[in-house]
Amino acid sequence: MKEKMLNIIWPLGFGIAILLLWQVGFLHMIFGLKPYQLPVPTAIAITLSNNLGKALTDCVVTISGALIGMAFGSLIGFMIAAIATFFPKWGYGGMIVVSAFNAIPLVALSSIMNLWFSTGMSQKIGVVTVVCMAAMSMNAYKGLNSLKPFSVDLMHTVAASEWTIFTKLRLPNCLPNVFTALKINIATAIMAAMISEYFASSTSGLGFAIKDSLRKGEMAMGWSYIVVASLAGVILYGIIILVERNAIKWHASQK
Amino acid sequence: MKSVKKLVSIVLIIGLVTMLGAGCSSGTTKKESSSTGGLQKVTLQLKWLPQSQFMGYYVAKEKGYYEAEGIDLEILPGGSDIIPEQQVSNGVADIGVTWLSSLMKYQSQGWDLIDTAQIFQKSGMLLVSKASTGIVTPADLRGKKVSSWFGGNEYEIYALLEANGLNKDKDLTMVQQDYTMNQLINNDVDAASAMTYNEYGLLLESGLKESDLNKIDMNDAGVAMMEDCLFVSKDWIADNEDLYVRFLRASIKGWADACADPTAAGKTVYNVDQSVSLDHQIYMANEVKKLVEPAGFDAAKIGYIDMNAVQQTADLSLKYGLLTQKADLSTATVNPKYWEEATK
Repeated sequence: MKEKMLNIIWPLGFGIAILLLWQVGFLHMIFGLKPYQLPVPTAIAITLSNNLGKALTDCVVTISGALIGMAFGSLIGFMIAAIATFFPKWGYGGMIVVSAFNAIPLVALSSIMNLWFSTGMSQKIGVVTVVCMAAMSMNAYKGLNSLKPFSVDLMHTVAASEWTIFTKLRLPNCLPNVFTALKINIATAIMAAMISEYFASSTSGLGFAIKDSLRKGEMAMGWSYIVVASLAGVILYGIIILVERNAIKWHASQK
Repeated sequence: MKSVKKLVSIVLIIGLVTMLGAGCSSGTTKKESSSTGGLQKVTLQLKWLPQSQFMGYYVAKEKGYYEAEGIDLEILPGGSDIIPEQQVSNGVADIGVTWLSSLMKYQSQGWDLIDTAQIFQKSGMLLVSKASTGIVTPADLRGKKVSSWFGGNEYEIYALLEANGLNKDKDLTMVQQDYTMNQLINNDVDAASAMTYNEYGLLLESGLKESDLNKIDMNDAGVAMMEDCLFVSKDWIADNEDLYVRFLRASIKGWADACADPTAAGKTVYNVDQSVSLDHQIYMANEVKKLVEPAGFDAAKIGYIDMNAVQQTADLSLKYGLLTQKADLSTATVNPKYWEEATK
């Protein structure tokens, strides 16, 4: 019990100490910054509370785009991994193509999607879908294929069909990898959604708000959006970890 | 025992970060203008790409006016994510060109920057639409898609809308404009922001005729805010007052020459940067001349700060939300004394 408490108190105390040092100007002193270059936490909090309605609306726009895109991207990535498992000869080529997609710079992708789609939301979903495919297909492929030694042979001795092997053996085996991919993707998705908004014609979303406030020198406003974006990221990551904990209780990583 | 070790490591980490920070910050604290071969080095940060919008500086440089004043001028091009106010404040550049409305926004947040000369006496901002959309007066914008570059360039448009009883959030859709005019040409937006000297020319060059286009001029609509001005940081000017006066003297001379012969000025700029055609640079030079030396303006007064116009910019900025408090228009923010000294 005491151990548990300490595990919470240490990081919490460290976080509060940083915030305090920031508030009293210690960070400004060591980095040689002025308050208008790095606003203090209370200024950011006040700006955020004055502007909460718009910040939350922008947050909903960005996060819904990120989640829908992530769902599409992860689904496509998983399908590719499954196809590559069933038809290893030519399916694996698809995996290579997908990982090549992953090398397209986000800035180029965002500008291209902006030309393809007329609304900001579809552009965002398009960008996020593409960047989420690779991590899922790579991880899922690994999970679907790195089975315990002789387990496939065992399935064959009881005359199990390929489909049975897939649902009873490969699918459960790849779950931990799928969750790893989801944890990678949630961070990537939020980041990709925000960067895509830099290049979109739409004027809603966290990415546009951050860019626009920083260009106008509204640093406290910019930081308040950054805080909202980080909080949303942490909460979504936490949700995935909770689901993971319950879904794969049997796995070594959860014990 | 264990927690002592932890404590020590935390202290060590903080110590390292502190040293790192000190190392980083010491490089940018103070920048003395160094002299090379008897000339003092000065850097000028433009608001945008090298183009005839800034022809006065290029002409003065080519004709050796800066050298004659003992200055070795380096001109830094701007871009969409290069903010002159930030460049001058952190010492990357000594002098900056920006829009007065944008500068006021920075000043209102506590940035120690001083407006010292007003190069453009009029606003060059237009809201352009195709004649086929039937937008003639600002009231016709209701329900339409209107684009702006944002980042501080949207406030004249906001002022135009609100002055005509339109709510920018409810009565129409504002979208982000890229740096081409394709959104308007392809009918993705109904009305787009355009500078008289640049984007309007791009539309004409794309094959549209003046008769195909309707334009709403911010000056006519009574919502003009001042644009290109010269500003410096308080710290830099304190040590370099004489240097700055010499810079202004050479620059004003360059602007006067450029306005006297815009075609030659356009060529001078084209020789520095060929990113757009020679024709476009000359078109721009001719249009910029109209803003620097409007009809009836005394050419000897190039750079003059008209406090009434400054006041209007401040009032409009406050009324339409760019500023949240009344602008301080003392000599701490707007100081014409260097210009007065340079034009003596």
